[in-house]
Amino acid sequence: MRFRQRAPLGILLVLVFCLSVGNENALGQSNQIDDTQSRLVQAFVMVQQADLEGASPAQISLLANNLNLALGYEDNATLLFSKDINASNFYASKSASLSNATSAQALSLTSAARTQIFLNQVAAYSIAVAAGFGSALFVLELDRLDNLVRRMRLRRTRLD
Amino acid sequence: MLLLLFGSFSLVYSSVAYYSLSRPPSQEFIAWGIFSPSGSLSNYFSGAGANVSVGQTLDWHFAITNQMGSIQYVKVIYRLANSTSPNPNATVPASIVPQLGNSSVFIPNGRMAFVNFTWSVTSKSSQGGMIFINMRINGQQVSPPVGAVGGQRFRFFFELWTFDIASSSFQYGYRGQSSRVGVPLQVWFNSA
Repeated sequence: MRFRQRAPLGILLVLVFCLSVGNENALGQSNQIDDTQSRLVQAFVMVQQADLEGASPAQISLLANNLNLALGYEDNATLLFSKDINASNFYASKSASLSNATSAQALSLTSAARTQIFLNQVAAYSIAVAAGFGSALFVLELDRLDNLVRRMRLRRTRLD
Repeated sequence: MLLLLFGSFSLVYSSVAYYSLSRPPSQEFIAWGIFSPSGSLSNYFSGAGANVSVGQTLDWHFAITNQMGSIQYVKVIYRLANSTSPNPNATVPASIVPQLGNSSVFIPNGRMAFVNFTWSVTSKSSQGGMIFINMRINGQQVSPPVGAVGGQRFRFFFELWTFDIASSSFQYGYRGQSSRVGVPLQVWFNSA
């Protein structure tokens, strides 16, 4: 009698346990895809930053290819989520690792681009200042130069 | 005197340096179109008028050009509407019209990206004079809740959305000089 009374309760408990484990698993997968998406967005933000800082179009194009590949993996992960959780996991982790690698490359490109821009600015303004000094000196010493040229011409005519 | 001349010349040459180092101003925009298999902006139904029969597969593609000054994360949203559905416009998407799916792509500045749009009508059903269609779009089966009288004058709405870093979400259109600019496309068809 006791067994008969407790059996449905036991089955119910087992069912609830199974469902809760299933939900946790599904929630975990969903979180993994969410994480993949946020890493992809983070990578995009970093690449755009590198682009705006002046990284070369060829380098940005390479990073864009990586981003599109990571996006493809993420799409696969989402499509396979309800069909094959292991395959979905596989693609989600591939997407996440590629996004991370792209972020790191973009960060180093940003740093290199900033340094390059700084060096370009230093070079350009140094040349501007040097040219300013040279021009000022040239204007001030124009009379002396003129005299020098005259003397040289005079010497030539005397020699002739 | 030397100092005055030096200052003046340096100012002039520094202005030249600043001008040469600055990015030239440009009008930022994203242009796009939907192309038929022949690569044109017409003849979408291979000479069959605008009639699409069950099982007929149509291979279209979007060509999207990014001239926004930096890489963009672009999403194309597609919806199925009928002749009475509200249109998307330059400022508002057709959010009331159900979404069939979307495709995303990253496009570097100054480059063009191609996005496939392969679709077919897999089956259709009739309900009170309205024809409802089931479709396959890029390998995904979809059953839009929109019908059309006699299967005539269905239309696709295609909307371009771009990822906005400030709000960390996709926003309709692209960032214009003063506000966002929506550039929706539409293609009419009949379910034959």
